Amino acid sequence: MIALEQVNKVFRLPHDKKTTLRQRFVSIFQKSTYEQLYALRNINLKVNKGEFLGIIGKNGSGKSTLLKLIANVLEPTSGTISVNANVAPFLELGVGFQGDLTVKDNVFLYGALLGMSKKQIVDKYDWIIDFSGLERFVDAKLKNLSSGMQVRLGFSITVSIETPILLVDEVLAVGDIDFQQKCYDSFKSFKKNGRTIVFVSHDLSAVEKFCDRVVLLEEGKAIAEGSPSDILDEYQRR
Amino acid sequence: MLSWLFINVYRALRFQAESEKEQAMSSYTENCKGENSLGRKNYVYLTLVMAITDFKIKYDNSVLGYFWSLLKPLLMFGTLYLVFSVFVRWQVENYKLYLLLGIILWNFLSEVTLNSMILLEGKAPILKKIYFPRWIIVIASSLTSLLTLLLNIVVFFVFFILSGASFRSTSWRMVVYLIELYVFVVGLAFLLCALFPKFRDIHHIWEVFVQLGFWATPIIYPISIVPEKYHALIFLNPVARIIQGCRQALIGPSGEFLSFTSHIIVISVAACVFVAGLTMFNKLSGSFAEDL
Repeated sequence: MIALEQVNKVFRLPHDKKTTLRQRFVSIFQKSTYEQLYALRNINLKVNKGEFLGIIGKNGSGKSTLLKLIANVLEPTSGTISVNANVAPFLELGVGFQGDLTVKDNVFLYGALLGMSKKQIVDKYDWIIDFSGLERFVDAKLKNLSSGMQVRLGFSITVSIETPILLVDEVLAVGDIDFQQKCYDSFKSFKKNGRTIVFVSHDLSAVEKFCDRVVLLEEGKAIAEGSPSDILDEYQRR
Repeated sequence: MLSWLFINVYRALRFQAESEKEQAMSSYTENCKGENSLGRKNYVYLTLVMAITDFKIKYDNSVLGYFWSLLKPLLMFGTLYLVFSVFVRWQVENYKLYLLLGIILWNFLSEVTLNSMILLEGKAPILKKIYFPRWIIVIASSLTSLLTLLLNIVVFFVFFILSGASFRSTSWRMVVYLIELYVFVVGLAFLLCALFPKFRDIHHIWEVFVQLGFWATPIIYPISIVPEKYHALIFLNPVARIIQGCRQALIGPSGEFLSFTSHIIVISVAACVFVAGLTMFNKLSGSFAEDL
């Protein structure tokens, strides 16, 4: 389903980033200096169909970079990534929302951004509004809604997408208990439907509960891989 | 000035080429399968939704709404008309229409190209989180401006009828010129948009160019006041040909810009700019998520 072979990702962090012609002109004889940050080193990873894969690791260990590479937002510095089906990126909820548009318009905009066709959105529209509990506010401007409501809307739209692969990054951290329960319930149903999920989280209990397999990242390297209980032990020992 | 611009563009491209060499091994493959596949046709829908959204946001929230987009060229037209028909008198038949058409077409160019650079910053959060082909944002924004252009042309025809002018048999030629203009302008927009993350001040430079171009193109003055020997120079600019062509098609009198050769010249320049812009854009758009 997803296969990564010898993937490296190097970020260049210039000491003095030149983003204008003027800066380049002024420093025309200066060699630009930069730090190389190895976000990911030699990652080999296979995710099978229907698998729920967890990725854990400390801050800055490359978890989010890995998801962005799979989502094709970033390009690998070297190595190959092949993804065998469509991907729904769950990287941040409501990232394309426009506060000045109504809730209804935002459903169509965000759905289209995530790759849905008009027909798919129309079919799912009632379900989305119902799931988010915003029936009364469909014609209200999004910016007038509370941030909790906006997150709920973003989540409802994302959940309604029927791609075979889901990439989930820390979305559970934002909601209250009810909302988190809703998230977990939908994960259970995803799993039942045989969808492939890559899940990045610091919530170790959730990782243990849902994942079939866990990968532990440290400083961009995959240092351990195996069943949730083994890897969580390993992680807590470090 | 030009030479250091070239040096810098060259340096940036070489830098890009180096990092591409490192990437030579890398690739990303995606095969869409199954009935849930998000196929190519959805990109068309996304482009349309984005264009409509941009238009709504731009005009829905102001009191006068869409009228702002009409008011801008009309106010400019009013001022210039006052100056050049009352104080300075050009010997041009139907100067009112002549001027309005020029301003509307030039405004389209300046709006699309200048917007193309602001675009990326506005859309940066989306670009960093969601993958979709990057050309969609440029096309969507150009469609928004195209809609404004078409509405402006409707206003032009209101003036046209009020002024008692009659339709000419060559009027349809304007459509051909509008298509050529669109291709040329979108090509420029791709080019500028691609370069913007690496050279932020290209926005200021381009602003000056648009301003210069406005005066170097026969928009407010008739071409007849320019000495004959400079005509070739002025008509190096395809937009000057397009504007003159539209005028000859609609207002008359018929002239060389309605000829087949003129279309060939304009469309080949436009196509070259478009291909160059798109190539550059595709080369550089992979790193947008990192550079922004």
